[in-house]
Amino acid sequence: MSAVESAANAVREGRATAAVGAKEVASRLEKAAALNAALSWSAERLDAEASRVDGATPSERAKMPLAGVPIAVKDNIVTTEQPTTCGSRILEGYVSPFNATVINRLRAAGAMIACKANLDEFAMGSSTEHSAFGRVKHPDDPSRVPGGSSGGSAALVAAGVVPAALGSETGGSVRQPASFCGIVGIKPSYGRVSRYGLVAFGSSLDAVSTFGRTVDDAARVLAAMSGHDPLDATTIAQPPLVLDPPRRDLKGLTIGLPAEYFPRDLHQGVRAGLDRAIKAVKELGATIKEVSLPHTRYAVPTYYIIAPAEAAANLARYDGVRYGQRRVGPAGDLRALYQATRGHGFGAEVRRRILIGTYVLSSGYYDAYYRKAQQVRALLAEDFRRAFDTGCNMLLTPTTPTPAFKAGEKTEDPVAMYLADIFVCPVNLAGLPAVSFPVGRSEGLPLGAQLIAPNFAEAKMLSAAAALESAVDAAAEVR
Amino acid sequence: MSIGREDVLHVAKLAELAVSDEELPKLTEQLGRIVDYVAQLNEVPAGEQAPPYLAGPDKVTLRPDVAAPVPLARPPADFAPEFSQGLFVVPRLGAMEDQ
Repeated sequence: MSAVESAANAVREGRATAAVGAKEVASRLEKAAALNAALSWSAERLDAEASRVDGATPSERAKMPLAGVPIAVKDNIVTTEQPTTCGSRILEGYVSPFNATVINRLRAAGAMIACKANLDEFAMGSSTEHSAFGRVKHPDDPSRVPGGSSGGSAALVAAGVVPAALGSETGGSVRQPASFCGIVGIKPSYGRVSRYGLVAFGSSLDAVSTFGRTVDDAARVLAAMSGHDPLDATTIAQPPLVLDPPRRDLKGLTIGLPAEYFPRDLHQGVRAGLDRAIKAVKELGATIKEVSLPHTRYAVPTYYIIAPAEAAANLARYDGVRYGQRRVGPAGDLRALYQATRGHGFGAEVRRRILIGTYVLSSGYYDAYYRKAQQVRALLAEDFRRAFDTGCNMLLTPTTPTPAFKAGEKTEDPVAMYLADIFVCPVNLAGLPAVSFPVGRSEGLPLGAQLIAPNFAEAKMLSAAAALESAVDAAAEVR
Repeated sequence: MSIGREDVLHVAKLAELAVSDEELPKLTEQLGRIVDYVAQLNEVPAGEQAPPYLAGPDKVTLRPDVAAPVPLARPPADFAPEFSQGLFVVPRLGAMEDQ
């Protein structure tokens, strides 16, 4: 039984209380302070979260699938009780006047919001080094990064502080840190989960996503917060996700291996991890099929036009008038206020992306960059459609090109940092669901593989991932 | 098709983002590398097309267009940088009006 199921069952059946669970989480958060993974939490707040669960009637609690389960929340998802900083000085001290839909749904399911988790500023980054509140450390090796941008959430799950956490994906920001930290990360289909209250970065890409130590842990949290939301017109009018029963085998499934995700120069440890996963796929009875996604090499440049363009528009609201720590410029007028507030409040990576996004949308460059990127995005989505049309139920790929890298290794070279997302961002451009799960270790560092499924095929994808998770020894070194 | 110092200053003005003289050389170099990198999309022939990708549902379901107060945990005065008599307060438009 998974950690989430077992904790919720104990509280539902009266064998444990949320109050005791809250105290244990507070103690673990204190002990894990050196990771710099939690930005705000308090024992009092945790007690209040527990009281809501323990104060419910037994019949109410019996209907709570996440009764007493503590969940860390990436600090770009708004809550009325704690600050929402997005890892940025510009929002330091900001407290939202409303809760995100996912927060309301998790609480209705009995979950306790344990803390707000550190992240790359406004979710822009692949290492959680771009937080105004300091970098997050990898739980296994503090000299390395946990991945990003949801690195705080990933580190807290990997360190055993919480059994599950919320992150957000725009270009792989949950699957990539899940892979680096040796845990599970699920990115749902675009439209499966409400983004009402998720601070907008790339609106055609953003998806609230989940972490867990097992597929089941992360899937239960995803199911509890999924479903149509009248407050987010991009959610699909479908009922919440219903999980399939766990599979013991993969008989009857065809798993595609896209050639472009297995280049000759792929990191040897990553390759060995994937070989282990492929062997398990065969042993579980699935058919392997080699496929091609020919535009994959253009995914990162496409992403780094579309996402900054959308970010430049979305972050215009941080101007010192509507949001943001106000600074008055030397001229004392409104334009000086905008420029001084934004110039001072945003960190280096956010500034780069706002400038690139503004550049590719500006007169004379729109067709060459933005329109071109939209053309290639359509081709990338078509590649996936064709692969699924040839009979593949899912695709299996590495999650990341390397294991977790050293802190500082890529901070001065933005393009090198962007390439860390090469296997994850195509999924976001096509709006598909995907799950990363651990498949072993290379020189002590975790390795991840991902399953990618057609739109809204999460239930089948997650049951297949759970079967593979059981068949692969994720703690063992690859050879 | 790289990017130069004047491009960065122009774009920073469009983005309402103050950029200091000290950071300009490094920023120009980094933005130039990013722009050069993404320019590889020009390798994809213009005639190579697929149906346009649209994020989200085929038909967006809008809620009724009814004006109603948004339930807030605290009033705007608590989270606005400056708020007075029901209005968000900003500095004078002055220099912008002159342009």
